[in-house]
Amino acid sequence: MISRRTLLRATGAGALLVAVPVPASAAGGLVPNVFVRLDDAGRITATVPRPDTGQGVRTVVALMVAEELAVETGDVTLEQAPGDTERFGPQTISNSSSVRQLATPIRTAAATARCLLVTAAAQRWGVPVAECAAKDGAVCHPRRGRLPYRVLVGAAAALDPATVPVELTPPEKWRLLGKTRGGRVDARDIVTGRTRYGIDSRPDGGLVAVVARPPWLGAVAQAVDDTAARALPGVVDVFPLTAPGEGQGGVAVAARSTHQALRGRDALRITWTGGTPAADSRAWLADLEAALPTRSPIDGVQRVYRMPLLAHAPMEPMNASAHVRPDGVTVWAPTQDPGGLRTMLARQLGVPVASVRVEATASGGAFGRRVEPDPVLEAVACSRRTGMPVSVLWTRADDMRNDSYRPMSVHRLTAEIGADGVPVRRTHEVVTWPLTVLPLFANPALIKASGDHFPYTVPGEVSVIVRPAPLRTGFWRSVYSGQFLYAEENFLSELAARSGLDQVALRRALLPAGSRLHRVLDAVAEKARWSRQEPGTSRGVACLEEYGSAIAVIAVADPRSREVLRVHAAVDVGVALHPSGVRAQVEGCVVDALSTVLGAQITVREGRVAESSFGDYRWARIGQTPDVDVTIVPSNAPLGGLGELAYPPAAAAIAAALAGGTPVTGMPFGTDVG
Amino acid sequence: MARYSLRVNGERHEVDVEGDTPLLWVLRDELGLTGAKYGCGVGLCGACTSHVDGAAARPCVTTTADSTRARITTIEGLSRDGNHPVQRAWRELDVAQCGYCQPGQVMAAAALLARDPDPSDESIEEALRDNVCRCGTYPRIRAAVRRASRIMRDER
Repeated sequence: MISRRTLLRATGAGALLVAVPVPASAAGGLVPNVFVRLDDAGRITATVPRPDTGQGVRTVVALMVAEELAVETGDVTLEQAPGDTERFGPQTISNSSSVRQLATPIRTAAATARCLLVTAAAQRWGVPVAECAAKDGAVCHPRRGRLPYRVLVGAAAALDPATVPVELTPPEKWRLLGKTRGGRVDARDIVTGRTRYGIDSRPDGGLVAVVARPPWLGAVAQAVDDTAARALPGVVDVFPLTAPGEGQGGVAVAARSTHQALRGRDALRITWTGGTPAADSRAWLADLEAALPTRSPIDGVQRVYRMPLLAHAPMEPMNASAHVRPDGVTVWAPTQDPGGLRTMLARQLGVPVASVRVEATASGGAFGRRVEPDPVLEAVACSRRTGMPVSVLWTRADDMRNDSYRPMSVHRLTAEIGADGVPVRRTHEVVTWPLTVLPLFANPALIKASGDHFPYTVPGEVSVIVRPAPLRTGFWRSVYSGQFLYAEENFLSELAARSGLDQVALRRALLPAGSRLHRVLDAVAEKARWSRQEPGTSRGVACLEEYGSAIAVIAVADPRSREVLRVHAAVDVGVALHPSGVRAQVEGCVVDALSTVLGAQITVREGRVAESSFGDYRWARIGQTPDVDVTIVPSNAPLGGLGELAYPPAAAAIAAALAGGTPVTGMPFGTDVG
Repeated sequence: MARYSLRVNGERHEVDVEGDTPLLWVLRDELGLTGAKYGCGVGLCGACTSHVDGAAARPCVTTTADSTRARITTIEGLSRDGNHPVQRAWRELDVAQCGYCQPGQVMAAAALLARDPDPSDESIEEALRDNVCRCGTYPRIRAAVRRASRIMRDER
């Protein structure tokens, strides 16, 4: 059978589609493009180009393909794409962009397949295409009956896609997208333990390696006595990882089993040198504060906010597997960037890109940490050294103490207050660190663009001073928005309290009428019954428009018990393709907010990160977490992003609620920062 | 190295490991039961929660040598068909995000419901206090435990 293939490629950040015809292949089946194919039996397979780190992209892809092909999600087999930007376009999970960037190409892919099938059926019956419709895995005609996809695949594949107009299913005809029924497609595998994360993807016959990491920041191994380690059962090799491109550095112990590798590491005697053994995060914070200009650009009411280091701490600690062979390398990794990893590894190893395969496994959380390649680089280095497949495992303490942390920052906000108590002019001076994992992010203008989304009609300036980072820093959910907005919204709430104004009324007055934020603020105020405050409670509110979406959050707390009682959010994401997933992302951000406001922070003492696990990095537990009420506000806006949207305003609203009218001065709330 | 006999999910397994090997690594490395997740290794996060003699336990802080008399159940052995009431409730309420902690959450919830079929919110929060979810699925977990309790009651 002859089939024509069209490669639809997503390029850049938008939804530009480039149709590239590919020569017919002997594979058979209907392959309208790289994202969707139907085999000769009519079975539908969709390729998910980006990894699922918990944000639910696999579910949304299944929903889109099932919708356009008039089947159920269970009829769509999902294949996770390996790293290959030539075929799949950008594969990076970042900036809450996955669904926004994939919706058009994936929906178009599946709609193309459907239109080809419908056209093939119409031709077979000799009836107009308009009289035929796809339904339940078949093309149907009122008088001719129905033809299952499997009998149409050959004829559809022989059609020239360029001659067949493709129409997307309009939202008013959606059966699956935008509906509340239906959950995560991987739910059964998850609750039966069958989902394979990176840590579960050990290559057969491989070794496990753990790395002895610097006991203080920047330390390097000067001398290593590995006699005792090598004498232990199962230990195969001990070697330093010091070269550039081998990860963060340390001494690796490779063994037959995880336990043997861990015991081997315990038995190492290493003399460490260099680095900053006296580093202290309290001093870092003081340095940032000292870098503020002597005077603010304006005089007025002023508040300084201090923000801590935060770790990503995904539930699945950093890990990766690699097998370096003479003819190439295969990597299995929970990663946010399989395509970028592949290109980088090819360049670094000096091998053709085609010889590098990156399998993106399921990922036990990511939150920005897994855009970085360091665990993969370690696995590749270990496999090169041993000539065997190697899985590198980070313990929880390794993960927490060798992260790329959210930068500390100091924010000085100043406002001139008008006669009616409303701010009329403002400045926001920020001193912070760059993101060391991406040198681009040393640019103050870029940091400002990431963090500054002040939506209110108060004229003013935001200035950013960048100081050298004393440790690795990286992308943490919402990036700089998390720090900037926390300061801005808490300051606005303080100004409202100071002037005896209502927090919501003040924001309403300062938001353009008819704006998306105005609408979500109205919606959440109504849902939270803002006009009726319960005795003994206090409340906070905050708004954010970013990632093409808008959100307003109201938190209700009992300030005496420091308990958050309820959180309400109203979101405008343009089109909510998977409402349960939309709510889940907001709920998740609220728990991040709760955790970081209530006390989770990273501190550095005597050169080392003091926290090592969930005992001291005090992430919220179920009993501290209130119910989260999410309203999805109908909207005509284009599809917006969501994975990071709710964190900054939820943190600000929760802090303001806990403060109960007293000023908030930093994060965590009511605790020493740093 | 020594030989240990373990009873896991109703079957006997012989493994050759060091006796101080945490049960978690035997389940994962030796028996290929990767549903129990490594999250902290020190009994703080609950990702590996499994059942020992029907009660929730942490294989990451249980040695192999101490496990030879125990009846061990992992997430893979909770139900034959993946339809334990807790697993059903988890799907019905679309609890999981990344899913990594969920086998542990499910096992902790199943152990709770086995001893307390109609738990209060306080009991749920107490039983699941040390099961960390970094995606923040707690509100749905709480609702799903209640749902599972109702499913079990309706089927009695």
